[in-house]
Amino acid sequence: MANLELKDVSKVYGSGVSQLTALDHVNFSAHEGETVLIVGPSGSGKTTFLTIAGGLQTPSTGEVLINGNGYSSTNKHAQSDLRLHKIGFVLQAYNLVPFLTVAEQFELVDKVKQNNMSAERFEDVLDTLGIKDLLAKYPKELSGGQRQRVAIARALYADPEYILADEPTAALDTNRSLEVMSLFNQLAHKYQKAVIVVTHDQRLEAKADKVYQIIDGKMSLLSNNIE
Amino acid sequence: MFLAIKEIKHEKLRYALITGMIMLVSYLVFILSGLSSGLQTLNSAAIDTWGANAIVLNKDSQLILPQSVVAPTDVKRATAAGGAKLVQFGGLVKDSSGHKESVQTVGIDPNEFIYKDLKIETGKTITADNQVVVSDNLKVDGFKLGDTIKFANTDVSAKIVGFTKNANLNIAPVVYTTITTAQKITERPGVVNGVVFKDAKPDVSGLRTSQVYGIDEFVNALPGNSAQTMTFNFMIGFLMVIILIVITIFLYILTIQKLPNFGVLKAQGVATKYLVKNTLFQSFLIAVIGVGIAVILTTITAVILPAQVPIFISASYVAVTAVLIIVMSLLGSLIPIREIVKVDPYTMIGG
Repeated sequence: MANLELKDVSKVYGSGVSQLTALDHVNFSAHEGETVLIVGPSGSGKTTFLTIAGGLQTPSTGEVLINGNGYSSTNKHAQSDLRLHKIGFVLQAYNLVPFLTVAEQFELVDKVKQNNMSAERFEDVLDTLGIKDLLAKYPKELSGGQRQRVAIARALYADPEYILADEPTAALDTNRSLEVMSLFNQLAHKYQKAVIVVTHDQRLEAKADKVYQIIDGKMSLLSNNIE
Repeated sequence: MFLAIKEIKHEKLRYALITGMIMLVSYLVFILSGLSSGLQTLNSAAIDTWGANAIVLNKDSQLILPQSVVAPTDVKRATAAGGAKLVQFGGLVKDSSGHKESVQTVGIDPNEFIYKDLKIETGKTITADNQVVVSDNLKVDGFKLGDTIKFANTDVSAKIVGFTKNANLNIAPVVYTTITTAQKITERPGVVNGVVFKDAKPDVSGLRTSQVYGIDEFVNALPGNSAQTMTFNFMIGFLMVIILIVITIFLYILTIQKLPNFGVLKAQGVATKYLVKNTLFQSFLIAVIGVGIAVILTTITAVILPAQVPIFISASYVAVTAVLIIVMSLLGSLIPIREIVKVDPYTMIGG
């Protein structure tokens, strides 16, 4: 069973009086088929958590494990390779290449990685996300919600085991935000992905399987709807 | 190369501007080198047609042929070793219709290789004294076969019996005549200015007041030749450096604008190598297109320029310069590539 774990992870920036503990002995796990929400105010350490879980930063102490294997202590090349094959990022901004059409965003994934989603599953994802008619459009021709759905599809297309989303509803209104969160939930269950969403938007809590709260770098489990 | 081509197609104006800039600078380099070669041709084309590789000149001549007087004994030794005697002087010629032109008159011996190898374009070769074969450039000035030309400040006249191509020396058309006629014009019977050899190291020894020089050394000493060649070479060199700087700046700005995209792609696991390859290919592509258009424009320019403009486009020189410009473009993309390698995906996603 695929799972992503953070074991006693801390991240400290700076030293002396300017020292800042962004993550403080965090323990976390997410499994396939789960939607995990991490909520917290600005500056609480959410993005630091996401970048460490996604291998973009190394923790000061502790270990990140993917399917039981140490990930954070490997070299940059191995981390990049793991991101390409196991992790899909959905980011707040810049997540689509501006000079590629929606169809070409997926073509780019094919250029850099093999064994992506099968044609049938891809069709299904396009249907589920409602972006089938947008394939010929450039990102600038899409609305914020459409862009976000394309970014989700792009992340899914590489067929990763984990999807890490950074404030995916930041640019959306309440209805759209809940819609996107439902979509994540649906995708996690349908395609057996572990979806980890960091957000400051507490309205999304009802749509998640597990909710963690992070304040001043300390993480605690708020709710677990799976058990 | 997927990203490179897609971006160029999408950002047509931006890449058209860079390509246009490379094209214009390349065009300038080709035209300048064409003019440089053209002027060089005007200076020494006749020497090239002789196929000479060495020359005997008076030691005190400073390698200037008209300033040189080779001693009769040295002339004998040199001609015995297969050399061809030369008499050269500059002056004005005019025909009966009033056409005038400054020329370089070269006296040659009918028994020696320059005379024998002289290629006649129209008419025939010199068969007697007071006959001349002249550069076909004189046709443009109105001189015709059968015209009698008079050498200024002398009583000597000669009949044009033929035209020859590529006969220029010291930026003036050449008039070939017999050595006897030339000596009559200069009123210096028996005086020989130099002796040329096909052999680069002629078997000639015991020269008294003369010395054997390489033909390149002689050509470089032609009045104004070195200064002119050096000026053009400096201009071309500076343009090459300008290409390098301009391409670097353009690509740097473009890359900086795209860093957030590169950061996100790296976050998504796209290898830095893939992004670097795309950037290099982009530079290569725009340089090839820019240089290609410049080559076409240069060829058209060389055809439509008036005959008076000395331009000589050498295919091999253009090919070497084109490759050099493309290499410069690739070098220009190295600094932007460094930025791509350095970009940290973590900082680009707001960490």
